[in-house]
Amino acid sequence: MNSMSTRAERRQEFVLHSTSFIIFGIAIIPILNALKKTEATHIQVVSPNALSILLNDLYIVLSVGLLAILLGIVCAFYLEEWLPKTNWGRRWIESHVAILTGIPSVLYGILAISIFLSYAGTLKVIDDVPSAQNTEVIPFQRHTTLFLGEVLIFILMVMPVTIKTTQEALRSVVTPVREAAYALGASQWQVLMRHVVPIAFIRILAGGCRAMARAFATAALLIGTYIWHYTTETDGMSNRFLLFLGAALVLSVCSSTLVEIYNSIYNSNSA
Amino acid sequence: MENKIQISDLRVHYGDTPALNGISFDVHPNEILSIIGPAQSGKTTLLKVINRTLEFTPDAKVEGTVKLDGVDIETIGDVYGLRRRIGMVLPLPVGLPLSIYDNVAFAPRTAGLRTKSELDEIVERCLQQAALWDEVKDRLDTLGTKLSGGQQQRLTIARALSHQPEVLCLDEFSIAIDPVTTMRIEDVLKTLQKEMTILLVTNLVQQAKRLANRTAFFLNGDLIEIDTTDVIFSDTPANQATYDYINGSFG
Repeated sequence: MNSMSTRAERRQEFVLHSTSFIIFGIAIIPILNALKKTEATHIQVVSPNALSILLNDLYIVLSVGLLAILLGIVCAFYLEEWLPKTNWGRRWIESHVAILTGIPSVLYGILAISIFLSYAGTLKVIDDVPSAQNTEVIPFQRHTTLFLGEVLIFILMVMPVTIKTTQEALRSVVTPVREAAYALGASQWQVLMRHVVPIAFIRILAGGCRAMARAFATAALLIGTYIWHYTTETDGMSNRFLLFLGAALVLSVCSSTLVEIYNSIYNSNSA
Repeated sequence: MENKIQISDLRVHYGDTPALNGISFDVHPNEILSIIGPAQSGKTTLLKVINRTLEFTPDAKVEGTVKLDGVDIETIGDVYGLRRRIGMVLPLPVGLPLSIYDNVAFAPRTAGLRTKSELDEIVERCLQQAALWDEVKDRLDTLGTKLSGGQQQRLTIARALSHQPEVLCLDEFSIAIDPVTTMRIEDVLKTLQKEMTILLVTNLVQQAKRLANRTAFFLNGDLIEIDTTDVIFSDTPANQATYDYINGSFG
């Protein structure tokens, strides 16, 4: 009697996954197209003021990153706490999240470059943005597209990781704890705020750090590649490379330390 | 005498799997009713129906009515209030990851009690009733999860008593507790009987015999027999299966 339902579930799963793969397959075509177009692009870096570029970068990365992390956490809470496991939308999102987290982060970098190149013309624009001394003025529309592209990449990269780690953190709060709290007459909100969030908080934080580290590392990698391939003027860029690499390192150390702290608090009495 | 709980034609399914097949019985006020039966006979499901925590199991379907003091529990709007009227002790001890004090004070706090002195009083009374006070009175602010298994189980009993329930459901509470402490808690249950109705699910038939006024025997989701404990444990219960189970012929 059970085999029927599992077979139906498997079929549903198959449909979900294949649609996801098809969508991503289609998405790759414009990316490749964009890359092809950029072959002949002439790239030259102008770095008027290294510090302002760095600050501007940090500002974008941190603000957009935090936004993406917050969105991811909210999304994960909604999926995990309010939608039933069998919900069609939840499974669709989860299968996409699984695919997005599985994609090597370098591919996101390529996607980012392709967006920059196809919409902004040359990479030069990235460095031009904060510069007042530079005479070339970027049209507002281009600037916005660029920024939106950056936001999109960040959200694509950071959000799935955050969603996944947050969901795992929420799942680590075992059902008996919730049941015990419910049996004492607590409302869903009280259970969430007083039991689930306090336990899961450290791991959610660790997940956020991990997601940001991933983003920073990818950015560093891209910048590194960019320095070695396209430019001789490396001053601002190598600073930026080091900054991003450092941030990625610090964040990953933070993330693993947080996980260690979590384990020492909650898993010590398992023996 | 009005019945505390009236259960009529209660059916529960998990998906396609039946867990309870239309059982009906009453629970009298201030009695200890023990529920015995092998695994998979629907004992825990029954308790979950009574405090409406079965609602968290996604594919569970409940038919039939359960009335508490004559009111159908499905029609009670304040489900959190309902759950506070019913104390629940689960088979495996679940220390909420809070301090010992906060564990016990949690339910009164969710009910809106804020006064420190009243909370102190409740915590001390409940811990004493659960035979845990002497062991933890000096370290009420340590994490409840750091206690040993048996202590945690007594902590859950204290927690279940903290909201002064009308019905106390114990689901195999003595699994993790040594016999001596079990006896102490059994004595407590006998005194608590004056204030509340106690539903005791147990795998230890001797415990049912020691404590219960009446005993119900469940088998594969059916209520085989419910009668006074003396009759159930006599040589002539109404059903042969009851006799066989109690005397260890099967199960």
